[in-house]
Amino acid sequence: MTERDTDAASDIDLVRRAQAEDIDAFCLLAERYARRIYLLAAHYCRNPQDAEDLSQEVWLKAYQAVQTFRFDSSFYTWLRRITINAFLNHRRSSFFRRNGQTMSVQLLQIDSEEQQVFFESSSRAQENIYNKLLFESVVNALAELTPAQRLAFLLRHYEGMTYEEIATAMNCSIGTVKKGVWRAIGKLRARLSPESDAQETLTNFASEY
Amino acid sequence: MHNCKETREIFTELLLDGMDFRSDQALSAELSRCSDCRSEFEVLSATLRLTNRLGETAAPAEDYWTGYHSKLRQSLVKAQAESSTSRAKAQRHKDELGPLFEPLRPRAGTSLFARFFKTTVPVPLPLAVAVIAAAALFLSLVIPFAIRAARVQQPNTTTVVRVPVEVPVIQEKPAEKIITRIVYRDRLVVKATTPAKDATRAESNFAKSQSEAMPSSLAGFKPSDEVKLTVIKGGVPNEK
Repeated sequence: MTERDTDAASDIDLVRRAQAEDIDAFCLLAERYARRIYLLAAHYCRNPQDAEDLSQEVWLKAYQAVQTFRFDSSFYTWLRRITINAFLNHRRSSFFRRNGQTMSVQLLQIDSEEQQVFFESSSRAQENIYNKLLFESVVNALAELTPAQRLAFLLRHYEGMTYEEIATAMNCSIGTVKKGVWRAIGKLRARLSPESDAQETLTNFASEY
Repeated sequence: MHNCKETREIFTELLLDGMDFRSDQALSAELSRCSDCRSEFEVLSATLRLTNRLGETAAPAEDYWTGYHSKLRQSLVKAQAESSTSRAKAQRHKDELGPLFEPLRPRAGTSLFARFFKTTVPVPLPLAVAVIAAAALFLSLVIPFAIRAARVQQPNTTTVVRVPVEVPVIQEKPAEKIITRIVYRDRLVVKATTPAKDATRAESNFAKSQSEAMPSSLAGFKPSDEVKLTVIKGGVPNEK
């Protein structure tokens, strides 16, 4: 039995225990997949506080619905469906109340905190700051998309879902999904490509130190 | 023949799938043919590689997850408590109302139809007496009223039948033309029976008598020397 099989088997075991109202078992499942769900939420919401709230809500919904899991797919596939539905429902509601307060605010704070370390010419600190600026650029590029386009791109690029799967999950046409993904790629390319201003700034920033 | 649009679509999908383009010989050949496509591929490849690095960048530090999971555990415990409360409430309602519906619960060997007619439900005596009394009162009020209503005769009704009568009007100018005026005369028909049923009979009788009386009905009619005609145009009745 491979490591992957062991993981899958223990997923099933944990789900069975969660169905018997074992909160500890469900928390183990959450520990296993919380980072993936959080990252999706972070890219989708573009705000760490919203990402935390939304990902916590996904887990709560999953716990309330765990009795309906029929073991006909992997636990993560089932969880991803719940995640997408939660994202889409929040898109319809006025959940993202902190839209103006994006990652950049937090990034600047982090930069200030790490300033001392950074000026000590630690290569690790330089890389961190470079990555954070890069992340900000990507977040800004994704911010120019509609929530549906952003979600389509995240599911295609980070989750590796096919257009058909995304269209089914989001209840829209394959053409709409493709359009969203390509639009996202266009935005990212414009922001991050070597000839773009943003990328030039990033490169200069990175090479300066 | 090289098609830039098609080539770019193919390598974008390959990059999104995280595949190595070198494994696709056809794509490699296409890229070697077109410098624009090759540079576009390099740019896009670098862009998507950069976004892939975001996973490690956007992930919070390890100590963040301790608080995250403890918050999640609290939410789950609270949700479970609420769920238990609502389940207990539902069970209490079930316990209270359940015995009433117990006889209708499915059992092996008997059909629902058979059980419906064989089932007896215990009802408090005052309630049963009140229901029977209410039903008796209702019937005693409704049945005589319905019988009386059926016996009531229909009142006499009058209908207005319009019969057209053609009256020749002689005019001096122009001599060769006859102006025909249609006169409508209202006539009252008194019916003693049901109007709907006898309306056609009354009309046919009237038409018959009218056709017999037609010559006499015009007896003594003289057109006046000055014929006054009222011409109604365009639905404006007072226009002359």
